[in-house]
Amino acid sequence: MPASISVRNLTRSYGAVLALRGVSLEVAPGEVVGLLGPNGAGKTTAIECILGLRAPDGGTVLLDGVDVLARPSEARSRCGAQLQGAALQDKLSPRRALAFFSGFYRDALPVPALLSQFGLEQKADAPFQSLSAGQRQRLALALAFVNNPRVVLLDEPTAGLDPKSRREIHGLVAGMRGSGRAVLMSTHDLDEAARLCDRVAILDEGRIVAEARPADLARASSAHAAVRVRASVPLDPSALGSLAGVTAAARDGEAWLVSTSQPGLTVQGLAAHVAASGGELVELAIVQPSLEDAFLSLTGRGDKGGGRRAPP
Amino acid sequence: MNTRSIGAAARQALLSLELNVRSTQALVYGYAVPVLFLVGFGSVFRSESPALLGEMGQILTITILGGACFGLPTMLVAERQQGVWRRYRLLPVPTAVLLSGVMAARVAIVVSAAVIQVGLAHVAYGTPFPEHAWLELAAVVLVTCSFMGLGLLITAFAADVPAVQAAGQCIFLPMILVGGVGIPLVALPRWAQVASGFMPGRYAVDLLQRAYAAPEGLSRAGFSAVAVAVIGIAAAAVALGLLSWESPRRLAPAAWGWLSAAFAAWVVVGGAAAWSGRLVVTPGALGDFERISGPEIAAIRFDNLPGDSEFVSRLSRPLAGGGDGRTRQLALDVAEWSPGRTGDAVQDARNLLCIAAIADVSRDQHEGQAARVVFDRLRDTQSSPRLQKILARIILDPDGGTVVTSAPELGLEGRFSEKIVRQRVDLYARKLLGRLRGRIPD
Repeated sequence: MPASISVRNLTRSYGAVLALRGVSLEVAPGEVVGLLGPNGAGKTTAIECILGLRAPDGGTVLLDGVDVLARPSEARSRCGAQLQGAALQDKLSPRRALAFFSGFYRDALPVPALLSQFGLEQKADAPFQSLSAGQRQRLALALAFVNNPRVVLLDEPTAGLDPKSRREIHGLVAGMRGSGRAVLMSTHDLDEAARLCDRVAILDEGRIVAEARPADLARASSAHAAVRVRASVPLDPSALGSLAGVTAAARDGEAWLVSTSQPGLTVQGLAAHVAASGGELVELAIVQPSLEDAFLSLTGRGDKGGGRRAPP
Repeated sequence: MNTRSIGAAARQALLSLELNVRSTQALVYGYAVPVLFLVGFGSVFRSESPALLGEMGQILTITILGGACFGLPTMLVAERQQGVWRRYRLLPVPTAVLLSGVMAARVAIVVSAAVIQVGLAHVAYGTPFPEHAWLELAAVVLVTCSFMGLGLLITAFAADVPAVQAAGQCIFLPMILVGGVGIPLVALPRWAQVASGFMPGRYAVDLLQRAYAAPEGLSRAGFSAVAVAVIGIAAAAVALGLLSWESPRRLAPAAWGWLSAAFAAWVVVGGAAAWSGRLVVTPGALGDFERISGPEIAAIRFDNLPGDSEFVSRLSRPLAGGGDGRTRQLALDVAEWSPGRTGDAVQDARNLLCIAAIADVSRDQHEGQAARVVFDRLRDTQSSPRLQKILARIILDPDGGTVVTSAPELGLEGRFSEKIVRQRVDLYARKLLGRLRGRIPD
């Protein structure tokens, strides 16, 4: 099946700064792809170049088969997008906004259906300035849907939202996948990416440094598993460091977090060490590397051993 | 623009109008503030007859400045800051199309504000409606478009709404104070008159005032129309080249160069005005007598005028039945006299007053009747308010135009010096003006 979003060798610079260095990626119909990256990695620039809002220095972008650079209006008529920092006039209501934006498309969806789909019926006639952050974001997504697009681009759709609103947005994005749309979304939230995305592409300093399913990426990264251990007696850090497979050990509250390349052997060694110390194991858990670990490992922004997340 | 673009622009225009009506700030700046200016002008000039007729060009210019130079950029910059235009850019139409819709809405807003001003002036002060309504509408649209070019220029350079206010004031205040918009040109010192020639407000006032009150309409307003258009086009061209839908953070040096290019149009216009002798005006020496203000007329003195039966500047009582045979013939001849029908209202009046002057200086037997015939002729051919301005112009500019120093075709003998004819013309002009203003009994 041909890709709904096809990006090839996208480059863009701002003066001497190379914001994008040959970015390539594809999104198939019914697939949600996450674009991850630290601040300044080039995510927003990439989204804007893909939408044709910012002219790239090189590369090609096809949205639903339409060359964005050659036919920007047609490409935009086929896709829906939500951008960070985009808003509406204070006095504009969701109903009027949807009616206004619908007027620009030939096959726009009915406004009442959009209000219902995005949970805005109760606020349909309220001015934009009175909407909560979550309601505004749902309206932004509804506006991205007025033309019933097959391609959707979302730039950090849950940024700044409370947990309830985030869950609502997650549900809407999952619904997009279910309806066969291709979704490319940038996000800072690694849990969100792990939960929503079929694939993630990690962008760092303008390059895609990794691209895979979230679970595969975590497994394939150089980040190690860890064992969280707490005993009834104090543990000797030097003894922990000498156990089989252990690469680092650090305090995590009352427990120790022991990074290891051989979790099984390390667990056996820990049990023996606690028993030899005359104590008992109070807590023992293996923590597999997460997407965040992979992200930190791939982008070089981890603290090399001591900063691993505690297990939930 | 194709049909789809026109539809998109129309949708945007309708939305802009709708939001404008709902915005308290837009209503205050677009309608309430111009009304305050109208009331301010009315409180100063209401003693004119008719009130405000000579100031409508200024009042409408202020209305347009507020709507186009303040209203447009304030709205655009506020929306840009909010991210509205970032959202618009995702639409499958160029933002230029949407911008044209916004500007069309702005023209409608300004025209509606101007109509309200004219209506209020008529109701509150009895100001007549425009002499040439369609020409006035055309002038309002032209001036609005020009000032919207300045508004776009402000939009291109202002990062936020306070910056718009600051930039707008930099344009607005000089034009109000020394640009002939707030204070009539004739009341300004020479340096300010020169400075005003380099500002678009002066030409906007000229256009709007001529269309409003001058009998000849805009036929002599070519320079002002071109000046307003050149300044507006230069500003719009530079603005559209620099306009960004992201708030400008720091401007490149080249942008300042382009800004200079936009203001170079002001210098070019001012230079052309100087070259063609249009820069400095002296009281009463305006090409357009309509711009003589009420206070200027009110300042004209009527004391120390010779009596109507004295040796100089005799004037008979109103003629019963048209007077004797010679007087009636003189009235018929004066009506056909070509120097009294040149098409220039002020020169026509001056020439007619010369008949009275020549009759007076030549000690014609009918000198008093000749003056009365001239007065009657002037009253018959001009409305009182207009005639007052014409006479004021002649009085305030005693060396202006030309004078007729002999009129044998009217049966008046002799040829006299220009100086003495002008003196008598001044006396008769004052006598007639004093009667029109009720300061001298007739």
